[in-house]
Amino acid sequence: MKEKETLSDRIMPRRHPFILFDPEKCTGCTTCEMVCSQRNVLKVAPLSASVAILRDEEKGKNFAVLCQHCRKPLCIEACPTRAIDKGEDGIVRIDKLFCVECGLCIMACPEAAPLRDHKTKGINKCDLCDGDPLCVKYCPEKALTFTRGKGFRWIKGLRWTVQLVSFLLLVMILVGTFCSFTAGGISLACPTGVLQNIASSRTIVLVGIASAFVLLVLTVLAGRLFCGWICPFGFILDLVDKVIPKRLGWPKFLENRMTKYGVLAGAVGGSYALGFQAFCTVCPIGTLCRSYGVQGFFKGAELAIVPALAGLEIGRRRAWCRYFCPVGAVLGIVATLRLVKIVIGAKKCKKFSCVQCAEVCPVGIIDGNLLREGVSPNIPMTECIMCMRCVDRCPYDAAKIRFRWQKGVPGVPKDTTL
Amino acid sequence: MNADKLDDIKRSANVYGCVECGRCVAACPMVDMYVNFSIEMSPRGVIKKALMGDDLVRDGNIWYCTECNAGTDVCPQGVSCRDLIRGLRQIAVEEDVSTNFNYCASCHNPFVPLPAETFVRKRLKSEPENVLDVLNLCPACRRENYMMRNA
Repeated sequence: MKEKETLSDRIMPRRHPFILFDPEKCTGCTTCEMVCSQRNVLKVAPLSASVAILRDEEKGKNFAVLCQHCRKPLCIEACPTRAIDKGEDGIVRIDKLFCVECGLCIMACPEAAPLRDHKTKGINKCDLCDGDPLCVKYCPEKALTFTRGKGFRWIKGLRWTVQLVSFLLLVMILVGTFCSFTAGGISLACPTGVLQNIASSRTIVLVGIASAFVLLVLTVLAGRLFCGWICPFGFILDLVDKVIPKRLGWPKFLENRMTKYGVLAGAVGGSYALGFQAFCTVCPIGTLCRSYGVQGFFKGAELAIVPALAGLEIGRRRAWCRYFCPVGAVLGIVATLRLVKIVIGAKKCKKFSCVQCAEVCPVGIIDGNLLREGVSPNIPMTECIMCMRCVDRCPYDAAKIRFRWQKGVPGVPKDTTL
Repeated sequence: MNADKLDDIKRSANVYGCVECGRCVAACPMVDMYVNFSIEMSPRGVIKKALMGDDLVRDGNIWYCTECNAGTDVCPQGVSCRDLIRGLRQIAVEEDVSTNFNYCASCHNPFVPLPAETFVRKRLKSEPENVLDVLNLCPACRRENYMMRNA
């Protein structure tokens, strides 16, 4: 006998179809209910519709309860006769042949979207009219829109290109590379390296500080953009991430994001004690940068640090960046001054049906459970690596980049402060 | 009064037409839902007890039913086990005997029998705790809640 497949094993279509509802435009005319019931029971009987318009007379608001065709539908799990299934096209359908109208899907659905028809006692649930919803077609105010989410995720393509180009530049083409790179008047240096340099040589080199400044300014302007977009080791980790089939999890006692500040303090203190740049010899970014060029392709044992640390990826995505990287720690400290932030508006977010942002976040700082409760999560910008995966992925336009002083989150009118 | 009402319910559910074919048991989703499924809680058992005149109102077995329509759909005699159980539960609520309902946390409406809710919780046990909080709300309040947060 075949084992019961879990939801995560199911084949998921890349783009889920769903209907977007705009409460600002809806006038509560219930045309959608009428055309929907026309399809369900062949007569205009709003009670038999698969969509319900709720009204709040005090606030003057209308709201449509619609099936969101979740990515991991709870109704499928709850149905005792297994009559509900998500098709290959991403539409969640009730098979009327097996449905016994017990109503447990209504119980399981967080927004109670399957509706009980009190006339026929049946269950009506939106099936998107098999890809051509009538309610969208007939909505006079265009408050309902049928969509399959974003087709082309341009940030994703841009990020991979930038990562590849910077990897080639830093590792293959530029000799001396990111750790300290001088070409005429331009000089660049790793801030952690400069800190260690100062500690080890006990002299303050102004040129070094100035060259470290470039990266710090970038961090102030755009957060830890370096980690997500430029870092060559981060690129390797992202590539490793693509081939890892299953994550083993991470021991609880190592799950402390403050560890990397400890590593930074240790690196600087170690350099002071030993008299040379202690961490730079084992730094995965540095070894990568030094590995290619005039010194030869592999510098033997030194390069072994890269696969060893990339192996941490089996536990958690970007485990090195999350918990240990001292370069990220310096940038994280500087990122407290950053000018931009990432916000996720819980009002625009469709909560239960999605939480893709929490799934794709490589450093795991988006609290999907909080989002499901309807609270906009606070995203710590000291941890965020500005990869913008959440912004790219969100099909409801809830994740946005905002300036630090902007108060509103998407979906909330500007005059209300949050 | 109670006896009259009970008789009315039995008559309107057409209990006296039951031929004990057992089709309702074959269609009943409770077989998949409860491990302790037995003849006492099956639709045929409840109908039989109703015919024998047992005190079903104080019987715990009437609280397992999900009030689906499967048994009525397949019954050759048109016996509605759902109407029977619904009526019995109504009497139980009216007479204030020990009921087995889950009451809505917001409007205190008895909206689902506890065994059915336990089943749903068991099926959704992989979900985080705060998502399952909505199971304490009746569907109407849940929609209301959802509207308040989104509109």
